[in-house]
Amino acid sequence: MSDSRLESFLARIYVDAAAREKFLADPRGEAIKAGLTAREIDDLANIDRDGLELFAHSLEHKKAKHGHQKNQHP
Amino acid sequence: MAAAVAAVGVAGAEAEMNSDRFGIGWRPRLAGGILSNLERLDIVEVIADDYFRAERQQRRALQTLAAQTEVTLHGVSLGMASAVPVESRRLDDMARLCDEVKPAFWSEHLAFVRGGGIEIGHLAAPPRCEATIEGALANLARAKQIVGIAPQVENVATLIDPPGSDRDEAAWISAIVRNSDSELLLDLHNLHANATNFNFDANEFLTRIPTDRISTIHLAGGKWIGRHGAQRLLDDHLHDVPDPVYELLAEVAARAPQPLTIILERDGNFPSIETLLLQLERARDAVALGRAQLIPSEVAA
Repeated sequence: MSDSRLESFLARIYVDAAAREKFLADPRGEAIKAGLTAREIDDLANIDRDGLELFAHSLEHKKAKHGHQKNQHP
Repeated sequence: MAAAVAAVGVAGAEAEMNSDRFGIGWRPRLAGGILSNLERLDIVEVIADDYFRAERQQRRALQTLAAQTEVTLHGVSLGMASAVPVESRRLDDMARLCDEVKPAFWSEHLAFVRGGGIEIGHLAAPPRCEATIEGALANLARAKQIVGIAPQVENVATLIDPPGSDRDEAAWISAIVRNSDSELLLDLHNLHANATNFNFDANEFLTRIPTDRISTIHLAGGKWIGRHGAQRLLDDHLHDVPDPVYELLAEVAARAPQPLTIILERDGNFPSIETLLLQLERARDAVALGRAQLIPSEVAA
């Protein structure tokens, strides 16, 4: 049932620096708190950290450049 | 290039070669260049979301453009590949615009763009799992019902290996395309970037997806980001189309004998329109190369 919960969780750690920092300090704990499934918790515990940081940084860069968030292409 | 893979009649291939369309993405900064070169373009792709809340004058201008050349509408905000249903109002917006513009087709990304009330502000790769396949299929069916035409669906580039995935991108995309009425809009720079960043073979990817369902191709460029040792290729649409993307285009043209629509996308750092048209010419050459290698395979058979 946590399908939409996982998307919500990912959206938060992608755009919210404080939530991301908290998550990276304790990925498993934060995933458990979010009510995700055992498999999702395992996956998040082994998250692609470089990818997460780069993606989050690219979102921040885009937001700073455009002043607001919009699903710009690409 | 593994060109001797698809078989098609020579006459059929020649006829289909003539049906390939080449176009460019409409951006305000490119408007003058596009309008003065319409005879060199078969189709223009317009970002649909830019017109959902546009003033009547702007929408009329879009209708005028559509009266002069073929137009396709490209969505960026629906969030089709999500376990969460797309809001009806968003599909209604697309339906209204399609009704006004009468595009050749419309398209959206296989991405999620929001979750739990948070707008990501970008096209995010969803967990590649059964839930997002089912969600995407339900969303695509609703989109077809509300808009009247099924959207083409586009693969997205991602900087992060999406957590919660239990299969790879080729398997995930194939499941959606095979089980929906949607044709595939294959973005070759997205494919190239993902293959580079996550160490898979883009040509092998092409052997695993239903190439007979590819209808449109996107071409773009990008740049390397990140610190040494953790670099990734970012699909930013701000750079010229790199050589590997043209090579992939030739490979697709060899594997997919059906008519293809090829769109060049550029979002900024704009070169002259001539430079963009030259990239489109190079795309024509790549498609011709692929088609040429497809025809002898049938002759030999």
